[in-house]
Amino acid sequence: MVAAKKTKKTHESINSRLALVMKSGRYTLGYKTVLKSLRNSKGKLVIIANNCPPLRKSEIEYYAMLAKVGVHHYNGNNVDLGTACGKYFRVCCLSIMDPGDSDIIKSMPGDH
Amino acid sequence: MVKFLKPNKAVILLQGRFAGRKAVIVRSFDDGTRDRPYGHCLVSGISKYPAKVIKKDSAKKTAKNSRVKAFMKVVNYSHLMPTRYTLDVDLKDVVSPDSLVTKDKKVTAAKEIKKRFEERFKTGKNRWFFSKLRF
Repeated sequence: MVAAKKTKKTHESINSRLALVMKSGRYTLGYKTVLKSLRNSKGKLVIIANNCPPLRKSEIEYYAMLAKVGVHHYNGNNVDLGTACGKYFRVCCLSIMDPGDSDIIKSMPGDH
Repeated sequence: MVKFLKPNKAVILLQGRFAGRKAVIVRSFDDGTRDRPYGHCLVSGISKYPAKVIKKDSAKKTAKNSRVKAFMKVVNYSHLMPTRYTLDVDLKDVVSPDSLVTKDKKVTAAKEIKKRFEERFKTGKNRWFFSKLRF
């Protein structure tokens, strides 16, 4: 059962984990590269902003279902996701290929 | 993390003359080749779907309506939509990259694929693959 409202605490922990991935891991930002990373099975976790257009969102989820990769729906829009990645642009979806020092993949899976 | 663009996967073409048609991956080249430095695959698909066949039709009508026109193409991965369906038709011996080079090889290969697709359609399996995608 999906929690109706994400508590502030878990939200901040995702942000901090993302920051660690940005520093130490490998990731790609953006729809085209996310699909590429899913196709060549490099992606390990996909994060989608909440204002992603529903067709694009379901397309990414379908690819992730085929590739058996977890999808995390970020609690924030693409502006927030871009800020969480430390970038000055909007990020609608991103794919983490190598988490580096972060434990984002171990603690996030099954979280839809 | 599982590779899913493998042979026998059913896909839908998104671009080109055959956009909206269903096809099956015959061979995939994940890392590309010298001529095509991107991930691509050789697909063979249906260019003309078989018509609706019901039990009440005469034998001549069913024969006429179950015809399938096939095509072969080399397609970039980003011009495909993969699906969760697969089609177990062995086409590897018929379709190969060099059968797309000359026109007569292409025609013979297409005829062979057409025959195999029609056989499969007549058995009634893989019904999803042989139904037209309406959009």
